[in-house]
Amino acid sequence: MGLRGYLFKRTINTVILIFFVITLNFIIFQLMPGVQGAIANLISNPRRTDSAQVERLMQLYGICERIVNGDCIPAPLWTRFSKYMTNMLTLQFGDSFQTGKPVLHDMIESGRLVNTLTLLGIATAISLIIGTLLGVLVAARRGSFFDSGWVITSLITFSLPTFWMGLMLIMVFAQQLNWFPSGGITPSRWILGTPPLLDQILIRARYLFLPALTLTLFFYGGNLLLTRATMLESLSEDYIITARAKGLPERTVLFKHALKNASLPLVTNAALSFGGLLGGAIITETVFNWDGLGLWIWNAIGWKDFPVMQAMFYIIALCVIAANFVSDIVYGVLDPRIKYE
Amino acid sequence: MVTLLSNKMSFTGLVFLTVFVFVAVAAPLLTPYDPQGTVVSGRLATPSWTVFVTGDVGYSQNTAFADLGYVTEGAGIVTSSNIGTDSAEFVVTQEASQSTGSKIVVAKTLSYPFKGSPNKFVGSVIVTPSGTLPVSVDLYMERVGVEKWHMWTQSLTVSRDWTPPTPGGKLDSLNPGFCEILDICGSIYNAAEVIFVRGEYRYVLEIALPPGALTTTIKVQEFSMYLLGNTWGLLGTDNVGRDIFTQLVYGARVSLIVGLLATFIGVGVGLLVGLIAGYLGKTVDEVLMRFTDMMLVVPGLPLLIVLVAVLGSSLFNIIAVLGFLGWMGFARVVRSQVLSLRERPFIEAAKASGAGTGYITMRHILPNIVSLTYVNLALSVPGAIVSEAALSFLGLGDQTVVTWGQMLQNMRTAGTSATNPLWWWAIPPGASIALLSLSFILLGYALDEMFNPRLRKRR
Repeated sequence: MGLRGYLFKRTINTVILIFFVITLNFIIFQLMPGVQGAIANLISNPRRTDSAQVERLMQLYGICERIVNGDCIPAPLWTRFSKYMTNMLTLQFGDSFQTGKPVLHDMIESGRLVNTLTLLGIATAISLIIGTLLGVLVAARRGSFFDSGWVITSLITFSLPTFWMGLMLIMVFAQQLNWFPSGGITPSRWILGTPPLLDQILIRARYLFLPALTLTLFFYGGNLLLTRATMLESLSEDYIITARAKGLPERTVLFKHALKNASLPLVTNAALSFGGLLGGAIITETVFNWDGLGLWIWNAIGWKDFPVMQAMFYIIALCVIAANFVSDIVYGVLDPRIKYE
Repeated sequence: MVTLLSNKMSFTGLVFLTVFVFVAVAAPLLTPYDPQGTVVSGRLATPSWTVFVTGDVGYSQNTAFADLGYVTEGAGIVTSSNIGTDSAEFVVTQEASQSTGSKIVVAKTLSYPFKGSPNKFVGSVIVTPSGTLPVSVDLYMERVGVEKWHMWTQSLTVSRDWTPPTPGGKLDSLNPGFCEILDICGSIYNAAEVIFVRGEYRYVLEIALPPGALTTTIKVQEFSMYLLGNTWGLLGTDNVGRDIFTQLVYGARVSLIVGLLATFIGVGVGLLVGLIAGYLGKTVDEVLMRFTDMMLVVPGLPLLIVLVAVLGSSLFNIIAVLGFLGWMGFARVVRSQVLSLRERPFIEAAKASGAGTGYITMRHILPNIVSLTYVNLALSVPGAIVSEAALSFLGLGDQTVVTWGQMLQNMRTAGTSATNPLWWWAIPPGASIALLSLSFILLGYALDEMFNPRLRKRR
């Protein structure tokens, strides 16, 4: 099977996964007792007097087949499921219970998406770089104090609960030392007027520091340990001896010869741990009051805002599926053996 | 078992685990308080040993006014009295010829020994007069010879139980309805406005009788005044004044129960799926493993959050959801193990001698997976414990029990308004979660090393 066949298979797999997630979503958010009532309540909510909106939501959810004298004749399960499937695929999640506006609109307009992506992107990048770099260095000095020290450190940070780590960081760096703000994204006084761009960036960086550090601490350890393990394996290969015998500088041996060959599991791991990272982001955002998608989910839970919850869960799952798909492709391109599978 | 004890890692793990199990089982013996109810000291009291670390920078402990005594002033004669620790009863007679009234002064005293002021004070009194009425009462606290704080002055006109006109009849320094009377509202440690230095204090109830002939019986009950200190016990108190040590001890119960039960469910389901998929193979295997893979891709914590939010957050639901979301990895491990076992000669021999699928699975395959099960049990518990803590921390935990995650959530809610870090409240639950997880991980690694010959050789 060639690369093309491999990619085709992966694509099919991804599509099946998306349908699976939508089905799961449907089971959780449409069939569970209580949720349906909440959505029906929303439609007949006396606060929502805008008849156009009610009409639109009725159309969207398709819970009722038709309405006879104000009573709902429930639509058959299959109709509702296909309707739900269409909605999810076209990203129509209904209206948020909190604001009464479409979920997608709330997500993008409020800047939540950007906030989460900023936090996640920076934390992922830093922890990948630090984890991989340290993993290589640690593997190169196997058995030294440096090695065991970092292994133990990363084991500890890896096993500490994320939210506790966040709380500790707030306690030490925000409350005791007062170096960083304890939460939020920007100072509240910015409502009155924002400072010049350079100051803005500096202040934003101060606000970003602690949450990003928390996520980094949560994420780098696993990466370090994995890099160390794969590096140890590839450092014991014959081509490393060859490379050293050629008189190549140690840096070239480590990064060009050993790391390149050890990088495949790292790619897979980065994609697989993406789901965990998103889970960590929900907690970190809650701890630091970082107004992103994670905090939004948390607020939605308090409000029993099911449209937002289902949208967020769906989008997070989509992100994870996409990450897996990308890693599959990268894997296929990087590893020539895939073609002969 | 002997191997487990001789290995340094697993020994440490076992010791910690034993401590936690002991604490969880013996919780009611270790602490007499109710983790969610009993107020034991002032709000946010630091552990009492902090005084040895930082020196006395203004610490106080729980103390109370004591030694109830009385004196009479004026012409009244107490004909009979009955003095208890918190109560007193007087029968007073007065001659008609007296033109001035008389006074009974009931008091408790306190020699306040601490450098710091208390976090708050809570007092109460019930006065029941009968006979000739009215009598008037004046309740106050006094720093002897310096200042008086009047808390209740009233003329009691009918014979019934009279209490101060504050909410619940309690004299709680933090209660808005009461602190206004003393004009000490505003600070959360407003008791410091009244009691702030070492010295002699009195808690006094003056009962004034009108002039003229009379015989009155006055009953005083629940005459008490407690000062709640700003230090308490081993681990201090939370923002309500509840003992953190008690909460920590009871939290161990929940964490262990959730961790173990959820893991049992997860391992059970995983074992079942893995066995079926591995042994039956073909279509069944394909379908089950596809499903397993799909479940593996779905992000765990968000699914957990969403499910608990939808189903409701009882402890039972949390355990069930954690269990039924935690089987996938183990199912894959079991399946691959079964696939390899299936090809071994002894299975072939069993088949040749006419053993059925069920018999082979139960008698030949399962015993070879038991070691895997132990290892996986130990290694999965931390995940369940941390997930439960995370759920509780997000406010999705069972509110009827105390958990470590919930303690941290409460701490965070209270901590945003606190100026100083609430370290005695924040560190113990998190450290316990980490330590309990760690002990299971250590145990799991040791078991893995014990059962897995490949790893044993490496040592």
